[in-house]
Amino acid sequence: MQEGSVWGRLVSRTARVLAVALVAVLVGAGAFAQEGHPLKGSWLGTWASNAALGDNILLILDWDGKAITGMINPGTDDIPIAKASLDPKGWMVTLEADAKDKAGKSVHYVIQGHIENLELPNRSIVGTWSGGNGKGAFEASRQ
Amino acid sequence: MLHRRAIGGLGLVWLVAMAGAAFAQVEPAAKFDTSKTMTLEGIVTAVDWRNPHAHIFFNVKDKNGAVANWAAELANTIVLEKSGWSARTLRAGDAIGVRGHPARDGTRQISGDTVTQTATGQKVLFAKDTAPPPPKTPRAAPRGPDGHPLLGGPDGYWGYPSATALVQSGVNVRMDAEGLLANLADAPKVAPFQPWALGVYRHRQERQLRDDPMWLNCKPPGGVRYLQSPLGFQLIEDPVRQRVFALLGSGNHNYRIVYTDGRKNVGQVRGDDDNPLYYGRGVGKWDGDAFVVETTGFNEDFWFTNGGLPHTNLLSMTERFTRPNFDTLHYEVTVNDPGAYTQPWSASWDLRWVDGQELPVFFCQENRS
Repeated sequence: MQEGSVWGRLVSRTARVLAVALVAVLVGAGAFAQEGHPLKGSWLGTWASNAALGDNILLILDWDGKAITGMINPGTDDIPIAKASLDPKGWMVTLEADAKDKAGKSVHYVIQGHIENLELPNRSIVGTWSGGNGKGAFEASRQ
Repeated sequence: MLHRRAIGGLGLVWLVAMAGAAFAQVEPAAKFDTSKTMTLEGIVTAVDWRNPHAHIFFNVKDKNGAVANWAAELANTIVLEKSGWSARTLRAGDAIGVRGHPARDGTRQISGDTVTQTATGQKVLFAKDTAPPPPKTPRAAPRGPDGHPLLGGPDGYWGYPSATALVQSGVNVRMDAEGLLANLADAPKVAPFQPWALGVYRHRQERQLRDDPMWLNCKPPGGVRYLQSPLGFQLIEDPVRQRVFALLGSGNHNYRIVYTDGRKNVGQVRGDDDNPLYYGRGVGKWDGDAFVVETTGFNEDFWFTNGGLPHTNLLSMTERFTRPNFDTLHYEVTVNDPGAYTQPWSASWDLRWVDGQELPVFFCQENRS
């Protein structure tokens, strides 16, 4: 039973890694020009020391004219963005999302940062993340 | 062989002259510091007659006798040739004086505002391309068999736009021909921006439009941008295929299609539905003497105006083309982009008929260092 659980976790983790890798390959062929809303697009990076979800993160963000929407790590365990904001003063970004940890307990994640190199297609969000008992540096670049 | 060497040598000179510059082709105001003026005397080493800007390379001797090669940037070759100049106006070995603004990045480049041949004192290679004078008596607009004014024709193209940057109607702000504001504080007046869009517009303006993808990456002048290009456009009505073509003098001779067959403005599955376009999907019909075009389906890969006004894929435009007389095309546009602006807004301008002339052949040559 325990072996099955370990196997299940391994399969789940492998599937997640493969899903992230697949999307990363699909979107990472080159930074697509994006002269519209600065957050729109696919962002690949790290949230350092995230023991629950791993260091790598893929963000898919969109803009419908009123709200920023999107998800973290699209795939079997994707995490919808619950709340997002962009303040043009300093290009401050806040993203909030609720995920489940391994025990099924809800974890509220908050990513805060600012956009660097706004004018480039491969601009970055640099800042910090926090959630559960964890926190660390956050950095992601638009693909 | 000689030709190859010449090209190779020119390339080397180019690289030396452009050392340190990230990109060779940007908006003029972005590249040159207009708050400073300098004059240089030197000997021409080469003339690079290419678009979007021609260049003269010339050797300048400093007070210690050291020689350095400089590049003077001129207008595009279309304008220069219409002004009566050619690649042979100056030749290697000619002594010249150049007055202009130095490059912001400190490289050996100068805007060639005034170029003087030292031997004769004659000013050369200046742009004197101006709109033809209006006829003393306005000519009636030509009409087709269906009674509508001809959008194009009989033989010529539309050019010399009365406005070269987009500003909402009723607002008067000072900006240069590229859309660079004289006063950045005027930015909120230009259009009813959403906060993020105003931030992006201000950022582009603060950077003197140097990130313009039309210059950096030869991206098409989509949206309304080609309608404000000095290089003009032709409108070709095709009643058999039931569409109107806009052939561009700018944008590497891109074209835009406006369908007049009554089709709905919906994307074609696996076509432009999935791949939004630089010029959008346009459908048009006549409303009296006005040709009205509804366009949607724009991508976000380009700047849709001079001056860096942002847009999103929610952009739609309603355009009205009228020809009040033979020599005038009046253009009105309503911009509706709820992704970037708080409300629809409008602008209008006129274009002049360039009678009997072919559309200029302009290709962006992406002259990167």
